[in-house]
Amino acid sequence: MKTKIQIAVLIFTALCLAANSSKASDDFEKAMLKAKANLKTAMNTVDVAKLTKVRGEFERILQLKEMPWLVNYYIAYADYGLAMSGMESSNTDVIKKYTQSGINVINKSIEENPDFADAFVLLEALNFNRWQYESDKMQDIMSATQSADASVKALEPENPRYVLVNAVSHYWTPEQFGGGVKVAMPEFEKAKTLFEKRVEKGPLYPDWGQEMNLGYLALCYIKRNDDGDKVKAKSIIDEALKVNPDSGFIKEYVQKEYDKVEK
Amino acid sequence: MTIIQTVFLFLILFYLAENSYSQTGDSIQSKGMKKIYGVVRGTSDSLLNGANLVIEGTIDGSSTDEKGYYEFETEKMGQQNILVTMMGYANKTVPVDITGDKDIELNIKLSKKEIQTDEIIITASSFTSGSNNAVTLTPLEIVRIPGADADLYRAITTFPGSNQVNEGSRITVRGGDPDEVLTILDQASLYNPFIFDETFNVSSYSTINPWGLRGINFASGGFSARYGNALSAVLDLKSYDMPQGTGMFAWLGLANASLSGVYVSKDKKFGATFDLGKLFLDPYFAINGKHSDFSPIPQSNNGGGTLSFKFGTTGLLKFYTNYSDDKVGIYSPSASYNGYVNQKSKSFFSNLKGTFAPSAATLLSVSGSFSLYKKDIQFGVLNTNEKDYYSKGRADFTVQVNRKVDINTGAEYEYNGYDINGLAPKYTYNIRPDAESFELDTAINSGRIGVYAESQIRITKKFFLIPGIRTDYYSISNETGIDPRISFGYLFSKYNSVRGAYGVYHQNPKLDDFFRAQDSKLKPERAIHYILGYEFNKDGNYIFRVEGYYKKYSDLVLLNRSNFYYGSDGDGDVKGVDVFLKTKIDNKFTGWISYAFTDSKRRQYDATNLAPANYDIPHSASVVGSYSITDALVMGASFKINTGMPYTPVTGSTYIQSQDVYEPIYGDVNSARFPTYTRLDLNAQYIFALFGKFAVGVISVNNVLNTPNVYGYTYNFDYTQKSTTISNNRRSVYAGLGLQF
Repeated sequence: MKTKIQIAVLIFTALCLAANSSKASDDFEKAMLKAKANLKTAMNTVDVAKLTKVRGEFERILQLKEMPWLVNYYIAYADYGLAMSGMESSNTDVIKKYTQSGINVINKSIEENPDFADAFVLLEALNFNRWQYESDKMQDIMSATQSADASVKALEPENPRYVLVNAVSHYWTPEQFGGGVKVAMPEFEKAKTLFEKRVEKGPLYPDWGQEMNLGYLALCYIKRNDDGDKVKAKSIIDEALKVNPDSGFIKEYVQKEYDKVEK
Repeated sequence: MTIIQTVFLFLILFYLAENSYSQTGDSIQSKGMKKIYGVVRGTSDSLLNGANLVIEGTIDGSSTDEKGYYEFETEKMGQQNILVTMMGYANKTVPVDITGDKDIELNIKLSKKEIQTDEIIITASSFTSGSNNAVTLTPLEIVRIPGADADLYRAITTFPGSNQVNEGSRITVRGGDPDEVLTILDQASLYNPFIFDETFNVSSYSTINPWGLRGINFASGGFSARYGNALSAVLDLKSYDMPQGTGMFAWLGLANASLSGVYVSKDKKFGATFDLGKLFLDPYFAINGKHSDFSPIPQSNNGGGTLSFKFGTTGLLKFYTNYSDDKVGIYSPSASYNGYVNQKSKSFFSNLKGTFAPSAATLLSVSGSFSLYKKDIQFGVLNTNEKDYYSKGRADFTVQVNRKVDINTGAEYEYNGYDINGLAPKYTYNIRPDAESFELDTAINSGRIGVYAESQIRITKKFFLIPGIRTDYYSISNETGIDPRISFGYLFSKYNSVRGAYGVYHQNPKLDDFFRAQDSKLKPERAIHYILGYEFNKDGNYIFRVEGYYKKYSDLVLLNRSNFYYGSDGDGDVKGVDVFLKTKIDNKFTGWISYAFTDSKRRQYDATNLAPANYDIPHSASVVGSYSITDALVMGASFKINTGMPYTPVTGSTYIQSQDVYEPIYGDVNSARFPTYTRLDLNAQYIFALFGKFAVGVISVNNVLNTPNVYGYTYNFDYTQKSTTISNNRRSVYAGLGLQF
C-alpha cells in the first residue's frame, strides 16, 4: 500500500510539473505567434510605429527565457525592417541606427545558437545595408558578408531566404559590378522552387520571403520585357498576392512598376 | 476516505493553490487586473517614442507611443521590477509595488547610453583608423588620395604637421628629422619599410600594404609611454589577426605588377597571405619620358606574407615576413665629378607574435622580430656597403582593473648593429674616382632595454587621463632616460572635446654618428612635448581640429668646432599650430583641408648656431577631395603647397692645388630656401566586372601642372655657377588594372 501511494504521488507530481511547464510554453508560443503575425503586418507596409511596437513585443518575450536565439532573431528582423524604412526616406542615420542594432542582436542570436542558418542570412542582409552609410569600410563589409555567406553555405545552402538575399543584392548591383537582372533572375527562379518545396520546422520559425521573391522575379520580367514577359510578370504578381494579399511591396511597388510598362 | 484519496485530495488542493499563485503573482487574494501607465522621457525631458517596458520575468508590458505614453495591465501583484529599454539609452530597472485597488502611474526618465570608451580615448595629435567613430583615415581613403599612390606614408602627409621627404614615403613631422618617426607593426619596429630610400632624386615608396591593416594610429606628438626611442612621432600599425576571406588579387600597371592572395581555413583557425610585386618602369618612361639619365633604370622586387594560427579560445600566433630589393643608377653632376650614382639595397623583416588572454580582463602579447637592411652606394671614389640590423623582443600586458581603469605595462629589448666597409673620399668636396680616399671597415652596436607602465583612467564618462612612465637604458652610452608622460581628453559636449599632452621623449642618435663622437659617447637625444588642442567631431562626418604645440630639444648631436668631434650639446625648439578640417557628405564626397604652421630651429650637427632645422617648413597646406560620380566611378584631386625646404648655400670656394679641385665655402647653415613647392594630382577609379569578377581600373595624373619643383642645387667646378636639379616627379600618367578572383 505504501509503495502504491509513493508511485501515485510521483506520477501526480510529474503531471503537475509537466502541466506547469506546458503552460509556460503555451504562453511563449502564444506570445510568439501573436508577435510574429504582428511583425508580418508591420513588415507589409514597413510601418515604423508598428515595427517599433512589435520589436518591443519580442523584447518582452525575451523575459520568458525560451528560445532566446529565435526571439533575438525576430528583434533583429524588426530592426532590419526599421532600417528599410530609412531607405525609403533616404535617411542614412536611420539606416545606420537600426542596422547596427540589428547586427548586434543577430550576433547575440548566433552566439546562442550557431547552427541556425536563417540568422546568418539576416546577418548577411544587414551587412549589405552598410553600403548605404559606410561604403568606405568596403573591406570590413565584404569580409562580414563573406563570412556570413560561408556560414549559411555550410549550414543550409538550400535555404530559400539565403538564395533570395543574394539575388536581391545582385538585382540592385549594377552590371559593371557583376550584378543586374541577368545574374539575379535565375537566382530568384531557384528561390521560387526552394520556397515551394520548403516546409518550415514549425510555426515559430521564420517563413518570410516567398512573396518578396515572387515580387522581385516579377520585377526581373518587367525589366527584361521580352516577348511574353509582361504576361509572366502579371501571373507572378497574382501568385505573390495569393501568398500574402497585404504585401505593401507587391501592391505599392511591384504592381506600380508593372502598371508603368503596361501603359 | 482512504489514505490514497486523502493524499490525492491534498495534492490536488496544493496544485490548484500553487497554480493560482503562479498566475496571479505574490498575492493569491487579488484576482483583478491592475493597470500601470505613465510617460517615459529622455534627456532634457524629451518624450520617448518606442521605449519598451516589461515586468521582469513576464511578458506583461508595453511600448510608448509618440507622446511617450504607455499603459498595460498585469495580474502580477506585490513588489515587482519593471525593465525599461530604449535604443541609444541605458536600460533602467524600476521597482514598483503593485498593491491596492488604484491604477499605478509610473513616470520614468532614461539617460543616454554611456559613450564607448574607444570613442573618447583618442589622444592629442592622433589620427586613427579603425572601427570606431573617431576614424579620420580609412584604407579606402589611402588608396583614393590622388598623388599618394596607395602609399600609407604619403597619405599621412596630407594631414597637418607631416611632410614628405623628397616627395617620397619618408616623412618628417613638425620639423623633426625623418629618423625621429618610429613605425611599429604588431609590436615590432620597422626601420626600412621603403624601396629607394634616401636615393638621389628618386622618391621612396613604402612596402606596407594598406589593405592588410586593421588599425592605423599616427601620433604626431604627445604619444603614449608604450613607445620608446622616438623623438617626434609614432605610426602604430596593426595587421589583421586572421585574413578576411579567401581569394587572390592581381594588379598590372604601367610601372608595376603584383599578385597577392589570402586564405583562411573553414574553421578560421589558420590563415595565410602572400604578396609579390615587381617594378618595371620601361612602359611608364615610354609614355611619360625620362627626366634623368638612368643606368640602370629604377627596378625593385618585393615579396612577403603572413601565417596565422589560432589556439585555445583566445590564443593567436602570427608570423609576418617581408623582403624587398631595389637597384638604380642615376646620372648626377657635381663640382668635382659627373657620373652615375649607383645604389642598391635589400631589406628583410620578420616578426613572430603571440597573443593570449589569460582571463577576460587581461591580454598578454609577446613578440620577437628581426630586420636587416643592406645598402651599397657607388659614386666616383665613394664605394661603400652598409648593413643595419635590428632584433627586438617585446612583451605587453594589459589588465582591465575595472570599467574605469586599464593598466598597460611592458618591456622590450632591442639590439641594433651597424657595419660599414668600402672606400670613402678623404675630402667630401672631391669625389673623383682617383681622389684620395680611406678604407672603411668598422662596426658598432648598441642595446636598449625599455620598461613602461601607464594607466588609462576614465575619470568620468567624458574625461580620461593617461598617466605613464617609461625608462630606457642605452648600453652604448651607459645612459638611462626616464620619461614621464601624461595625456588627457575632455568631451565637454556631444561633439566638442579638448585634448592635451605632456611628455619627455628620448632617442638614441644614429649609430654612424658615434663614429665621429669622442670616445664614441653620445647621450640619447631628448625632447619635451607640450600639446593642447580642440576638436569638433560629428560622427566622423564633420571634423575640425586645431592644435598648438611646443617642443624643446636637448642633447642633440652637435659638432664641436674646437676638436671636430660630435658631442651632445645641441638643442632647439619647435612651435606650431596644426589645423584640420574634414567632411564626408552622403557617402559621395570626402575631403579635407590641412594647414600647419611650424617654426623649428636647432643647433644640431654642423649648425653650431641656432638655425632652421633641416626640415623646417613654416607653412604647409593640403586640400584633398574625392567624389563618387556614380557607384562605379570615383574621381579625386589633391593640391599641396609648402614653403620651400631650407638648404645651406655655397658662398664661395678655395682652390686646392694639391688635388686640383675647389673646396666650397658654405654660408650659414640652412640660411636659404628652395622656392615654394606646389603640386596638383588627379585620379579616377572605375569599378566593373571582368570575366564575371570584381575589377578596378585606375588612372592618375601626378603633378598635373608640371610644376618644376626643386630637388636641390649643383655647382660647376669652381662653384661660381649654380644649377637647379628639378625633381623627377614631373607630370606623369599612370594607369593600372586590378582583378579580384
